Amino acid sequence: MKNAIKKEERRSRKRRPYLAFLAPGMIMYTIFIIIPIIYVFVISVFEWSGLGEMKFVGLENFKTLFTNDRIAPTFWHAVLNNLKYLLCVWFIITPIQFLIAYLFWLKIPMFKYFKFMIFMPYVISSTIVSFFATMIFDPNIGFLNEFLTNIGLSQLTGSWIGDPNMAFKIMIILIIWQGAGSGMMIFYANLMDIPKDVMEASSIDGCNEVQRLFRILIPLSLPSCASIIIMSSIWALGVFDIPFILGGASGGVNGSLDFVNLVFYRYTFGSALNGRSELGFGAAISVTMFAVIMVVTLLQNKILSRFEYNND
Amino acid sequence: MKKRQREGQIISPAGRAVRWFFSIVLFLYTMITFLVLGATVLDSFKTKSDLIMNMFGWPKQFVLESYQEILLKDQFGQYFMNSLIVTGCGTFCCIMLAAMTAYGISRYEFKGKQAVTMYLLVGMMFPIQVSVLPLFLILKNLHLLNNLAGMIVIYAAGISLPVYVFSRFFHTVPVSLDESARLDGAGEFTIFVKILLPICKPVIFTIALITAIGEWNDFYLPMVMLGKKSVRTLTLAIYKYSTEFLKYMNVSFAAVVITLIPIILMYCLFSRQIVEGLTGGAVKG
Repeated sequence: MKNAIKKEERRSRKRRPYLAFLAPGMIMYTIFIIIPIIYVFVISVFEWSGLGEMKFVGLENFKTLFTNDRIAPTFWHAVLNNLKYLLCVWFIITPIQFLIAYLFWLKIPMFKYFKFMIFMPYVISSTIVSFFATMIFDPNIGFLNEFLTNIGLSQLTGSWIGDPNMAFKIMIILIIWQGAGSGMMIFYANLMDIPKDVMEASSIDGCNEVQRLFRILIPLSLPSCASIIIMSSIWALGVFDIPFILGGASGGVNGSLDFVNLVFYRYTFGSALNGRSELGFGAAISVTMFAVIMVVTLLQNKILSRFEYNND
Repeated sequence: MKKRQREGQIISPAGRAVRWFFSIVLFLYTMITFLVLGATVLDSFKTKSDLIMNMFGWPKQFVLESYQEILLKDQFGQYFMNSLIVTGCGTFCCIMLAAMTAYGISRYEFKGKQAVTMYLLVGMMFPIQVSVLPLFLILKNLHLLNNLAGMIVIYAAGISLPVYVFSRFFHTVPVSLDESARLDGAGEFTIFVKILLPICKPVIFTIALITAIGEWNDFYLPMVMLGKKSVRTLTLAIYKYSTEFLKYMNVSFAAVVITLIPIILMYCLFSRQIVEGLTGGAVKG
């Protein structure tokens, strides 16, 4: 009986109109998403300023990027900054996200209000977040220095974003303020999905809150932890908006806010800095960035899937 | 009592103290958000001289000087319209294309269906930063640089996530509905528009909402693709103001307020949908 229905279903579905439904989306997607990805690999092996002839140079662009005395140090410094940000994702941002999700799950006083307020900055544009940062951290007119002076702690005032030691930390704080909400809500949704009987059983067995947190809730959250970390890692390796607006295209004082994407931008579109734009070279940076993202994602997948396995 | 039952155990006094401690910490933390937003709104009503002297106090008097300046001297209305056009058309086209594609995938049997599904997922693995240079060149060749239409087509093409969510959702809608409509003589497109879309309104709305928020807030693509002043979007305008903060200090507050109003309003009205959409709650259907 079931089979008969299925067969009938299949017959009636077996028609051509699917082409009409698929075609527009597939064509747009191919032109503006897939072709650019292939195209960037092609450009990366040419020397090309955007106008005139494309000269095939093989892997020359990559060689320049990795070994040229003038370019390579900047590039590697930017890569290191990206990796530093990645470490912050692992050891600072994700644990904070889990902690707050756990607090929501405990239904601490006013948690509904917190949920609303803490997620809110997520819908605020990075330009505005950076604008707020200027407003607070500006050394001359910013709120923070004025506040510190007023409460008599003027020795603590600083140039904040202009200070190479502080700039990176401020950026991480801004990113937590703006972006931590999504991972937090994923953790929270995951905690809410844990069956109640697990909790009941644990309390019957005399499990206290701390044990419950470390023996039950954290292990059961590791799978969602994996997806959050992978998501924020792709984000961390592609970061652009906030450092660009805070530190300018040159990547802040002493390159404290320099990231791969900013290096890419400088060489590709910011021709003013280097005399002329080098599209082939820019594409080589894109390809490298892509490779780094792939490697990091694969490695993380491998490490994190081990946790998932333990859970089953 | 109810609360204790849900947690399955009675909270110890120490546990309760810890909870209150974190509550207070988080309360102070959310106060920062309030202070920043509040100061921005207040500052936008100050005169320039008032602002320089007293950036964080109550305005001496409420004036609309900054708003008048951005609307009359700068073309802020134009920027707002640009953002609105790009976001509106971009979201609409993207969602329509994605819904049609997802319908094609989930409602028909054909060879290579698996391949098409995989092919559509590729877009989710690549951040836009990787392909921004080729996109720039493609738009240049199509003469769509410095043109809102260029941004709209890029946004419209980003169908990976919507297709993924929609096709999973469309599978949950019984095929018998289509069948009975087909028996009544409805064409394929009529079935799609009149039956499937209305049933899936909630999920479509959720995905449209987060797509729209992303496009409204986007900075990178507009900065690369829209260099001319007449096509500037709101985020670009604010960026221009904040690069010369001291010069444009007063007007930039008004600009930020105008840009924030729609987005905060949306968040207050639809925070549940936004959270669901961004955290994959919508995927579960």
